[in-house]
Amino acid sequence: MSKKVLVEYSRYPLNFLAIFGQVFIIILLFVMSTFAFSAPGGGSGSDVSAFAGMMTYGFVTSMFMSFTLWEVGFSIRQEQVRGTLESLYLSPTNQFSNLLSRIFAVLAWTALVCVGGIALVSGLVGGLPATNVLRGLGILVLSVSGFLGMGFLFAGVTIKLKESAQLLVSGLQFFFFIFSAQFFPFSVLPAPILDYVSRWLPVSYAVDLFRTTLVGRPPELLPNDVVLEYVIVALFGVLSPVLGYLGYKTIERRARRAGTLGEY
Amino acid sequence: MAGETVARGFGLGRPGRRASIEVVWTVFKARLRIISRYRGAILLESFIPIFFAGLPIFLGIAVAGSEEQAAQNFFDNTQLAGQGTNEYRLYVLLGSSTFMVVSLMLWLIGYWVRREQETGTLESLYLSPAKRLHILTGVTSYTLVRSLSAFGIALAIGSLVFGVNPLSGNILAALGFLALGLPALWGISFLFGAFVMRIKEANAVIQLVQWILAFLMGVYFPVTMFPPVLRGFAMAFPPTLMNDAVRSTLLNISSIYGPWYVVLALMFMAAWIVPLLGYEAFTVMERRIKRDQGVGQF
Repeated sequence: MSKKVLVEYSRYPLNFLAIFGQVFIIILLFVMSTFAFSAPGGGSGSDVSAFAGMMTYGFVTSMFMSFTLWEVGFSIRQEQVRGTLESLYLSPTNQFSNLLSRIFAVLAWTALVCVGGIALVSGLVGGLPATNVLRGLGILVLSVSGFLGMGFLFAGVTIKLKESAQLLVSGLQFFFFIFSAQFFPFSVLPAPILDYVSRWLPVSYAVDLFRTTLVGRPPELLPNDVVLEYVIVALFGVLSPVLGYLGYKTIERRARRAGTLGEY
Repeated sequence: MAGETVARGFGLGRPGRRASIEVVWTVFKARLRIISRYRGAILLESFIPIFFAGLPIFLGIAVAGSEEQAAQNFFDNTQLAGQGTNEYRLYVLLGSSTFMVVSLMLWLIGYWVRREQETGTLESLYLSPAKRLHILTGVTSYTLVRSLSAFGIALAIGSLVFGVNPLSGNILAALGFLALGLPALWGISFLFGAFVMRIKEANAVIQLVQWILAFLMGVYFPVTMFPPVLRGFAMAFPPTLMNDAVRSTLLNISSIYGPWYVVLALMFMAAWIVPLLGYEAFTVMERRIKRDQGVGQF
């Protein structure tokens, strides 16, 4: 199945290049936006570097989340539109591998893109803080596992929502951009948003822990209980794929029973 | 008479004016009917500009340290770039709502060919006696309704969310500029449609183009903040002109292009030239693909 996805990707090399270009444009857009709001004289070097670190490492998590949602979730929609989804379900392939196969190529590519993005910002601001890199990578692995669970669930939602799914992905991306503070520190969010929305999202803890670990600061969401923040991220990484897949199977079973699986 | 009967009998007749209007109306109605099945999509696309505007607002407050300082810094920086406003919330909300109009145009017109290819209906459309221009007119009319609805709803809800008043400027003039900017957007969409027809699998490319658009249009800041070469390129881009015209009118600030009559002249020019160029590029690409592998292959 992964080979089939890779062959498909290899037919459209421009797509890969576009993903790479997209990341640089997003970074430039937000860097230019920070210029519009920064004091004309500019801040001190270490402040700029720490802020850029918070923004860039948050951006890394947002990239992995977006690509997971698009590739796992939205590729089901593509199969629906092309009329190949029902054929896939009639073939003797494992349904889980069908979902999982869609991510290997894109995860490898996203990792490359993120390295490029970090290098670009690092070059622009004269170096980014990078402490506890190994621990940060471990947190990233757990976060990506959690995002995969969201992707599985979203694949199910796509079967149900059909055309609206595309906009839902975009909507979700922006939802997490803001409510999980992926481009700015949590301290900027108004208290009601922080307390009633952000703190209830496991993604927020994944973003917070990953970037503060790399920047070398205490986490913003649970500064006095770092262990609990680790536990939340670990649970997110372990439980989310299981729950996401169960959710996907439930929606898929209903669609098969109603005969709407291939409908679009 | 006999010749006409034979020609019509063999399916060689071309639709008359009334039939052409019916083609436009049918395509328009069909598109509306399809999207009416997905009401969630319409709701979501109205909220995306609000999220899109929220990002730089929070980012700006984080950079500046407080809301007041963010407003002051934004005023200082935009004044250096030739505008000068501390209404940064309305500035980015207007930018992102206008961006949504541009983005929807690209998706709905530019990606229309690809969508028909994927669903296997493109060849059938090519075999029908209807002219492509009329089909495209139907698609663009539908796009117009959908994108303007998204613009209006996003602006209304966004104004409530961010606590800003978009009605303080000259609304009628802003709507006029928005309307005048649409033909150029159609032209760019046709150009984009030609590009999508050529490269086929275009999801990632469309996303890239959307971010490039947001960057070049100056959604979050005046493009005069760019270095000279990039600034020239961005200012020559019709959506930047439309965005700036709408925004400067509603915010009562000076346009980066100069006095209002210069803006108006530039918009008329873009509305005249860009659609012609775009449609020409589309037909050239279409002809080339029909000659090579055919339009149905994807």
